[in-house]
Amino acid sequence: MRSADPQAHSMVIASDYRVPNPERVWPLLQSRKSALAGIGAHHVLVYTSTHDYGRVLVTIGVRSREPIVELLRSRVFFDWFDAVGVEDIPAVFAGEITERFEASPPSNPEAPGVVVAAMASVDDVSMLTEEVRAGLTRFTAAGVRKTWIFRAFDDGHEVMILQELDDEDRARRWIEHPDPAAPWIAGAGRGAYPPVFVGKFFDMMRIDG
Amino acid sequence: MFVCLCNGITSQVVADAIAKGASTTNQIAASCGAGADCGRCRRTLRSLLGASTSDQGLRN
Repeated sequence: MRSADPQAHSMVIASDYRVPNPERVWPLLQSRKSALAGIGAHHVLVYTSTHDYGRVLVTIGVRSREPIVELLRSRVFFDWFDAVGVEDIPAVFAGEITERFEASPPSNPEAPGVVVAAMASVDDVSMLTEEVRAGLTRFTAAGVRKTWIFRAFDDGHEVMILQELDDEDRARRWIEHPDPAAPWIAGAGRGAYPPVFVGKFFDMMRIDG
Repeated sequence: MFVCLCNGITSQVVADAIAKGASTTNQIAASCGAGADCGRCRRTLRSLLGASTSDQGLRN
């Protein structure tokens, strides 16, 4: 894991939701920089869905001594959802990164990739991590450039997996015919878990504390 | 997943409430507190109820 990785050694809060006007998300986030700094946020990454207009995935890296429950109860999140026009508050993933895998050699590093994200419950996170490690050659052949595995704080079976793939076609194939070492694809979209997110990295904000 | 931000209730706690017999969002709120304050998480609670119903259908 590289120390420059914005997700590294950090609590990550992530949520996938639909906004009426995705163009407003980034300027509204920037205008809330000091409020985000107040809860210990150090990075905010925004991804926008490629085919599902209005759907966004926002991940916030946080360094905080406060319990996660207290962070989530802060007005910052409610004010944020109000500002972007989200009436039904979505379920929120809270966890930490446990592993980061990268294709070697990178398949097509010059072109921007497509992000596939899923939140799901899996049988055993440690075993899953080892299966991903063992399957990296297949992942690379399928166009997967990077895989980040996050484990939830509140549920030892719950993961959020972010992957970067070469392009939209490969992302679609990956979702429709996932690798045996990628059971989270089938687990997404049930109960509180949103369907698999397919989108592009929009922007990242660094926040100095 | 944290479902109810007002009260810090997770999807597991809601699933437990459903397993104990809660079958509406009001019953979930009464059982564990999720959705009892601002009520803006009730769509997610309905998704959890729906998933539980389909799980039961698969088992029957």
